Amino acid sequence: MNTATDSLADLLKNAAAMQERGRSVLQSMLELGDVKVGTSEKHCVYSEDKIRLYRYSALARSANLKPVLICYAMVNRPYLLDLQPDRSFIRELLLSGLDVYLLDWGYPDGADRFSGFDAYVDGYLRRCVEFVLNEQAIDSLTLLGVCQGGTMSLCYAALHPAKIAQLITMVTPVDFKTPENLLSKWAQHIDVGLLTQSGNVSGDFLNLVYLSLMPFRLTQQKYVNLLQMQGDRVQLENFMRMEKWIFDSPDQPATAFREFIQWFFQENRLIRDELTLAGRRVHLKDLTVPVLNIFASKDHLVPPSASVPLGAHIGSKDYQSLEVDAGHIGLYVGGKTRKSVPAAVTAWLQARR
Amino acid sequence: MSAQGPFSSAHPFSSGFLKAWVDQAGAFQEMFARLMDQSTAAMPPATPPPLLAPWKNFIDAMGMGGFNPEQMFPGTPALGLSREYQETAARLLDLSRQFQQRYAEFAQQNATIMQDAFHVLKKRFDEAPSAGKTSADLYDAWIDCAEGTYAQAAHSERFARLLAELCNISSAFKVERGKLTEQIARHLDLPSRAEVDTLHRQVRALNEAVRAAAASPAASGAASGSPKSGPAKASKPPRKPRKRVKK
Repeated sequence: MNTATDSLADLLKNAAAMQERGRSVLQSMLELGDVKVGTSEKHCVYSEDKIRLYRYSALARSANLKPVLICYAMVNRPYLLDLQPDRSFIRELLLSGLDVYLLDWGYPDGADRFSGFDAYVDGYLRRCVEFVLNEQAIDSLTLLGVCQGGTMSLCYAALHPAKIAQLITMVTPVDFKTPENLLSKWAQHIDVGLLTQSGNVSGDFLNLVYLSLMPFRLTQQKYVNLLQMQGDRVQLENFMRMEKWIFDSPDQPATAFREFIQWFFQENRLIRDELTLAGRRVHLKDLTVPVLNIFASKDHLVPPSASVPLGAHIGSKDYQSLEVDAGHIGLYVGGKTRKSVPAAVTAWLQARR
Repeated sequence: MSAQGPFSSAHPFSSGFLKAWVDQAGAFQEMFARLMDQSTAAMPPATPPPLLAPWKNFIDAMGMGGFNPEQMFPGTPALGLSREYQETAARLLDLSRQFQQRYAEFAQQNATIMQDAFHVLKKRFDEAPSAGKTSADLYDAWIDCAEGTYAQAAHSERFARLLAELCNISSAFKVERGKLTEQIARHLDLPSRAEVDTLHRQVRALNEAVRAAAASPAASGAASGSPKSGPAKASKPPRKPRKRVKK
């Protein structure tokens, strides 16, 4: 018992030291102020309602490849791909000589609540593709879809295959009903019609769902680990950038969100070849262009089993998948992957010039 | 978390301390579980959870809570001039009751998960007493056990159904609350959600008509170059045709 009492005294001493470290870290965070994100130079070339199409300024001699249009998810902000100069997927592509465009969905509000999923895929995305094709006087481009944006890109490419030269999907769900997909299991019994009946779905609600996937790590351990960053300004800045991004979640337009949850998560229409958008059937078999499918082995949001089946459902004979040892976010900002993944993308594109 | 972490000044704990710690934690857990049981049983059925309390107050302030016949005489239909308000208030109260019941079940489920996680942690240290040498190791082990136990439960059908029921009840509550707000807005001659929705639909339809017109062969023949923005963006009104003056 004495040993336990002695150790308890040590524990209390450590607790006091931890408290001091915590105070110091919080003070450092206050001194940091607002952190900068999305640092690569870009300019808006097309806008419509809430959406913006950006073109990034070149950072290297042109590689003479088709321009790359990045279609990000609607549920988060796209600056994850350009978080800071040394953690920027986009910057790496620019340094490889690629011409990069980014579709930013913005922050939908009440005016967008009746916009359906097809308005985003066969409306905004289609017009952005057409804008780039017109601006560059070309027939087709490379479409790179991320997460939900990857699913949207698959739908678009299946509807308009002639306008796509190559398709790259990153951490993209294709089969929404695999046993590892916790998000999908939770979505099955949600009355999404009722959920969206009183308007858009708040970003806070979605964040709560994401945090609930791993509550102990995401709401406790992450902040306890902050104490290790005492005195390390760079690490604290990185943490704050990520924290800013995680909770910067736009509200979701009611109709598009309802359709996405119902058609994809609950009915798995895409992979069952039962999806209709803008009055046209979406057949993945119509997708015959080269496809690179990148997924993360430790992804807790889009498990590999949700992405891997893509190859078996498309009509393309040039299909390649790339498994990356990372999580859903680590794929873009992780120590090794932040350079290796864009390098793999560029190499794949160069092999198909 | 490494040994260089926030707990780095800690010396290795003895297995005696670990046992004391786990026992202590187990005791807290049992106490928590007992409290949960008592709180669930003790909760009066009409008490809304904190989330809904402001709306309960609002309903009371509107004079609807006190006039709710269903509350005073269960099973009585809504009657009289304020019939619709009574119905809305009754539905809101019923939904808050349902939410409270489900939430209690959810909290109980979470308490069980925590309890199971503690057992897993205890088993881990029983099997390898030297595993947790620092409080950092102990904490990381706790997080691993808690996350593992939670994941197992979270993947179950029961968990998914309970979570969905909570979400669905909240959604239904929000819809009823919206109806009430709509009625109040009408009384005060304020723009209501229904009016704004109608306007949004009209704007959408107009936008689509403009896009269709712009995409027609006649319009595309007249257009030159690529637009910098879509048709939704405001543009200058067309000039009035000049009057021809006969010379």
